[in-house]
Amino acid sequence: MRREKVPACVHPETYKYYLEREDVMATWHRLAERYGQPRRHAGFRTMEIGAPRFILRSTLLGNPITVLRRRDCTPADILELHALLGYP
Amino acid sequence: MPHVRDPAGNTTMTHEPLEPRLAMQYEPTTYRRRVAGHDVIVHCHHYNARVQRTTEGARGIDGRGILCAAAETVFSDQLTKVLRPEDDEPTRWALAERLYGHLGFGRVDLAEIADGKVSASSSHFVEGWLAGLGQSERNVCTFTEGFLQGVVHAVTGASVQVRETECMARGATCCRFEVVHGGDPRRPIAPLAKGDALPIPCEAGGPYLRSANVDEQAIIDAVVGMPMVGDEFGLIPAFSVYLANMPGDFYNQICIGFVEAMRALGRDKAAMRLLISDAEHCGMNTFRGIMHSPEWDGLIAPMVQGRADALHAIIAISNALGWGDWHVTAHTPKTLALESRYGYEAVGYREHRGQAHSPQCAMLTGVAVGVMALVHGEGTVEERFGTFASSEERCISCGDSSCNFNVERVE
Repeated sequence: MRREKVPACVHPETYKYYLEREDVMATWHRLAERYGQPRRHAGFRTMEIGAPRFILRSTLLGNPITVLRRRDCTPADILELHALLGYP
Repeated sequence: MPHVRDPAGNTTMTHEPLEPRLAMQYEPTTYRRRVAGHDVIVHCHHYNARVQRTTEGARGIDGRGILCAAAETVFSDQLTKVLRPEDDEPTRWALAERLYGHLGFGRVDLAEIADGKVSASSSHFVEGWLAGLGQSERNVCTFTEGFLQGVVHAVTGASVQVRETECMARGATCCRFEVVHGGDPRRPIAPLAKGDALPIPCEAGGPYLRSANVDEQAIIDAVVGMPMVGDEFGLIPAFSVYLANMPGDFYNQICIGFVEAMRALGRDKAAMRLLISDAEHCGMNTFRGIMHSPEWDGLIAPMVQGRADALHAIIAISNALGWGDWHVTAHTPKTLALESRYGYEAVGYREHRGQAHSPQCAMLTGVAVGVMALVHGEGTVEERFGTFASSEERCISCGDSSCNFNVERVE
């Protein structure tokens, strides 16, 4: 998998994580178990999990996942997230 | 049945949910959003922080005073509009807290306000300042100071002075405010004085250019259908930016007040240029974030076949955010013409000041430039800045039937 930095105003360290197609379902399952079930927004065809330190958001296809960090997000939070995403 | 807390820390219960009083009403004819009796305009933290910096940074004027007084007046009025005679004091404070978070300004804790203490654990303006302008050497929550002065007035009838003593923008763990009753003679809070509302235009405008690929109504419906209310932090993270529902009266009061104060120094033209520049940055940065957002990928990207489609989609989003009821009348890669039928700046100026001598829509003028630079420019945002120029040729504030903007590439 890979990630790309995206311009976003909420946090300078905002990335889109591109999952391998075969990993999408399992990854979202792991994220939901850890951070809660995703909410869907039908109008924009998006879904998101609002975790305390970041927001995980994607289209309904689930890939890529944009990680919008909140200001108090720590390196440890990201390390844990990367483990769940399978990002090295 | 919601629990509310009074300033002494006692918890009581109200007999009905408070949220319905803050529900947004949408007017599709003008794209206006109305919350608690006020038209609200959805802007991002980037724009709000920049306008604050411009207003407060100008030498020779009391920019902080302008901003604080505007917030005080507008939010005293807005909270008053949702209060009911039967509301007890805990319910009134609870509504004040919820109004702040509901609109997306963050989270304030008013539990100790009777002791003169208020804290805020999240803040739209702090996020905006840190994300766009970097750590500050001074406290930045002037807006919240004014908000608090306004809601104290609405709840208790008292005129107080609120001062921020610690600010997250300077590294504090939360923002803290002290509320001073009495002390120096305090001028009474200015009522929100406006003339009659300008009628909504009856005649169809245009003719307007449309994109065959872009379903503008689907975009508008999706934006209007978004839950544009503060989350558990009182913030609205959407389109990869933090949004807030700001009363149009607030923007109009600070922008008109800023230009008038600068006019007294012979610098009103410079003031307009600064406000236009803020909006140009907003147009580029906000929509750049939007164009990389999952929301864009989910609904809009499949409609976009070329740059013109992106432009039409952006205009549709801005309409749904309540900016201007504006539409494209002509467009080439080097030029753009837009017509606005009910922009909040022009309409607000007429309501606040009567007929103007010159166009007043700094925000739309700047955004028009920023959007063209984003869609048709090349390079980084910094490299695109200043590559287009725009002018407002006609303005509702001057008595015209619409506001018209022309944008051209700077050769």
